[in-house]
Amino acid sequence: MFKQKRSAEDFAEEIKAHLELEADDLKSDGLSDDEARRKARSEFGNVRAAQERFYLKGRWMALDKLLRNLRFGLRSLRHSPGFAATAILTLALGIGANTAVFSVMNAVLLKSLPVSDPDRLVYLRTSNAPPGTGTIDSNQTFSYAVYDALRQHGGALSPLMAFVPLSGSKVAVRYGAQPEEAEGDMVSGAFFSGLGVNLPLGRGFSDQDETDHAPIAVISYNYWTRRFARTPDVLGKTLFVNGVPVTIVGVSAEGFEGVEGSGSTDFWIPLQSRRELNAWGNPLEDGKTYIADPKWWCLRMIGRLAPGVGRAQAVAQLQPVFQAAALAIAGGMPMAGEKPPVLSLADAKSFPGYDTQYGSPLRILMAMVGLVLLIALANVVMLLTARNAARQREFSVRQALGAGRGELLRQLLTESVILVSVGGALAWGFAEMATRMLGQWAQIESSLAPDRTVLLFTLGVLMVAGVLFGLAPMRVALAGGATLALKTSAATSNTDAGKSSTGRIIVTLQLAMCVVLLVGAGLLLRTLRNLENTPLGMNVDGLVVFGVKPDIPSIPQGRAFYQNLIGKLRVLPGVESVTVSEERLGAGWSDNSDMMVDGRLPQVANGGSRTVRSNVAGPGFFSTLGVPVLAGRDFADSDTASSPHAGIINEQFAQRFLPNMNPLGHTIGPDNGQYTMTIVGVVKDHKYRSIDEAPIPMAWYEYAQIPMSGPMTVEMRVHGDPLAILPAARKAVQQLDPNLPLIQPITQRAQFDTTISQHILFARLAGFFGFLAVVLVATGLYGTLSYRVNMRTAEIGVRMAVGARRGQVVWMILKDSLLLTTVGLVIGIPLAMLVGRALTSSLFGVKPLDAVTYLLAIASVALVALAASAVPAARAASVDPMRALRTE
Amino acid sequence: MATQENKDDRIALLQGTLDLLILKTLVLGPSHGQGVARLIQRQSEDVFLVDHGSLYIALQRLEDKKWIRAKWGLSENNRKARFYSLTPSGRAQLAEKAGEWQRLTRAMGLILNAGQGMQGEEA
Repeated sequence: MFKQKRSAEDFAEEIKAHLELEADDLKSDGLSDDEARRKARSEFGNVRAAQERFYLKGRWMALDKLLRNLRFGLRSLRHSPGFAATAILTLALGIGANTAVFSVMNAVLLKSLPVSDPDRLVYLRTSNAPPGTGTIDSNQTFSYAVYDALRQHGGALSPLMAFVPLSGSKVAVRYGAQPEEAEGDMVSGAFFSGLGVNLPLGRGFSDQDETDHAPIAVISYNYWTRRFARTPDVLGKTLFVNGVPVTIVGVSAEGFEGVEGSGSTDFWIPLQSRRELNAWGNPLEDGKTYIADPKWWCLRMIGRLAPGVGRAQAVAQLQPVFQAAALAIAGGMPMAGEKPPVLSLADAKSFPGYDTQYGSPLRILMAMVGLVLLIALANVVMLLTARNAARQREFSVRQALGAGRGELLRQLLTESVILVSVGGALAWGFAEMATRMLGQWAQIESSLAPDRTVLLFTLGVLMVAGVLFGLAPMRVALAGGATLALKTSAATSNTDAGKSSTGRIIVTLQLAMCVVLLVGAGLLLRTLRNLENTPLGMNVDGLVVFGVKPDIPSIPQGRAFYQNLIGKLRVLPGVESVTVSEERLGAGWSDNSDMMVDGRLPQVANGGSRTVRSNVAGPGFFSTLGVPVLAGRDFADSDTASSPHAGIINEQFAQRFLPNMNPLGHTIGPDNGQYTMTIVGVVKDHKYRSIDEAPIPMAWYEYAQIPMSGPMTVEMRVHGDPLAILPAARKAVQQLDPNLPLIQPITQRAQFDTTISQHILFARLAGFFGFLAVVLVATGLYGTLSYRVNMRTAEIGVRMAVGARRGQVVWMILKDSLLLTTVGLVIGIPLAMLVGRALTSSLFGVKPLDAVTYLLAIASVALVALAASAVPAARAASVDPMRALRTE
Repeated sequence: MATQENKDDRIALLQGTLDLLILKTLVLGPSHGQGVARLIQRQSEDVFLVDHGSLYIALQRLEDKKWIRAKWGLSENNRKARFYSLTPSGRAQLAEKAGEWQRLTRAMGLILNAGQGMQGEEA
């Protein structure tokens, strides 16, 4: 189309020649020079128009056609702004929601670790830990001794890498003067080389670094950007980790955020062996670090399968080595009735922990937005079909006038391309925003930025939508053919289109999907309300909590430190009371063990669990939290290292282990019998680890009496905004030790909310998508019904002319939508029950077959159907029979 | 459809017929655009009115279809002009189109002259 051998100038030249020749001819016919020239020009007509036609015909023909189609499309869309806006918004919401959820799913579940050849990487798993060991995760963590044995053996997994965080959350880091927190891991020397992670700056670690416990660090690209503004001088700088100086020697590749679960690791150091840098930030156990303690299974391991070695082969090779090392602590023989732990290997190509944490909610969300997208697409198809059916006569006339089917198809496709492009652009913007919000709410720290996969996904959806929108209405639009133009009455020509059953089927299915979405959303929202209204058993208003991790070698010094700290904090203005505890409430952690009661392990009726949760608490702990003391007393300043050991229990403890008696005065203690305390108080059951837990027996030790010197959590009850006290508290802490940051300062309410943040996010999103579905279904139903009413205007006119009453006409329209709704419900409810069952694990305090939820969903759908039908029905009833008949 | 009567008995060309007339004119030998227009008008005894703008677009269209070719030359009175001549495929096209047209006019004539022998206005 674009080939053009002749220039426009050449064409102009030809016309000029023509005019001269014509003038010559006219002169020879006897006209004067001027007259001849004028006549030649006037006979030619519009010279400029001819030139323009030549111009368009050639070079710009194709583009011109496209532009004309576009202009035509835009014009015809502008004629129906309501339709255009509805279609575009519907698309933007439907596709945007899908893109957002998909990009989270892509980042969290589908993306591979940014390492070389991730398919050959495996995590090591064990069926269980040997008895007598402490673990972080009974299937995923190992002792250093096991790691060392497997590594010495080598072979199938080369290299084998261990990694372990320096803290359960973040660790104190100081660069320059300001103490702060960062996530840090200790790793094997082969960590970076074994995973195949590039280091754009500096170097990784070597086996020698691991052996020497070299004080060096590699920081993440993210941390480098955030903290060091990507300065290349960062190499050689000193970072104080828990006060220990380490030298930065490298920066890891962009996008590599470690192999820990949902967090993103900021820095890595080689495996260390010193008190300040113990695994998980734990204090030493009997003076031993994790390296020297075969009973502490705390390391995670990842390995690369050696070339040519399969997974089964690797397991077979390593199993005996593993079992020997594992059982070495128990004298090399399994205890009677104990099964030896079994090693297995798990896929490591995607991010660890993400699947268990986010897998099922994300898949359910993806299914929900998929349904929303289906509803949205169906809506737009129906809108387009209705619109084009109404234009059927226009198309017929144009076909009769000689427009090719191809021409019409091109035009319809152009219109749909306009809709899809504008909708798609809006969708992308909407998705970017939604993704950022999703990431924040879900506290996913790894990058969620949409990548090429997401872009392809969105473009794919858009393309399907574009073709669908162009083709689906085409059938109706062209169905009439040229002959339709010959039919004289709009009433007769449109009845054919009005009878199309496709629209009814689509609306029915939409209603069914709407029920499913509403039931899902309803169940999750009720779960959320249950969780939010769950009494915590304490008064969290005005409570703020933060952690401190002083570097203190001896127990008396530790005791003094905390006494000192409590003293300093108590006198801050606005502070009502201050206390400390070992474990933070509402952090999802708990210390579980069996306990002796009156010198022996208690017998529990009906084989109930003997497990007790314990915590170490400071003076005034329960009064600070606002937990009622039912009997006896709270811990007090008068409980000191030299006073008799005092313990406090909750109701559950009393009921289960000391039933039907006064628990005060009984003695309890850990199951090794090394410490006993007398029960001085019984407190009311309250939430401890998370909001969605059931109460279990608990016991508290007094912090000044039990030997401990590790990190503690400080609880402060203050007047006014709890967070406003933090700067003053920080100053008080740093007067004691300038290296100490406040670890995760947060209000106690917010701390508890973190345990349901996923529920909250999940429920809010589900609620939003349910609402979106209702809105879409309402517009779709309204559009279809009012279109049908329009089509039947003449018929309604006839009916009313022959005596039908308004009520009968209204009923005729309503009956139609009630029928659709009923069928939709009949299809939707069983589907909703399936969804409810899939949701079971995400529900709290509500059954999957919750009658209220179903009734509400059904009522909403019925209401929406009724509301969407009301306007068209009213319009039908107000049809003036004479006018309806006369319009033709 | 698109025919319309002019006050001086001249008729605007039917769509599609212009191409045929151009090809026919060029059978007589190469000519420039103005010559083609003149010839059509004269040979139709001034019944056909050729819109000059359309003529040049049509010439260009035929050239693009390779039915005619063009080159610049000098007219009888020494003016520079673009001369068009038929190509072999143009000749073939002419034979086909002319045959079609003759069948059409014969059929039209048969219908219009049937019965009362009413005369068509195109006669």
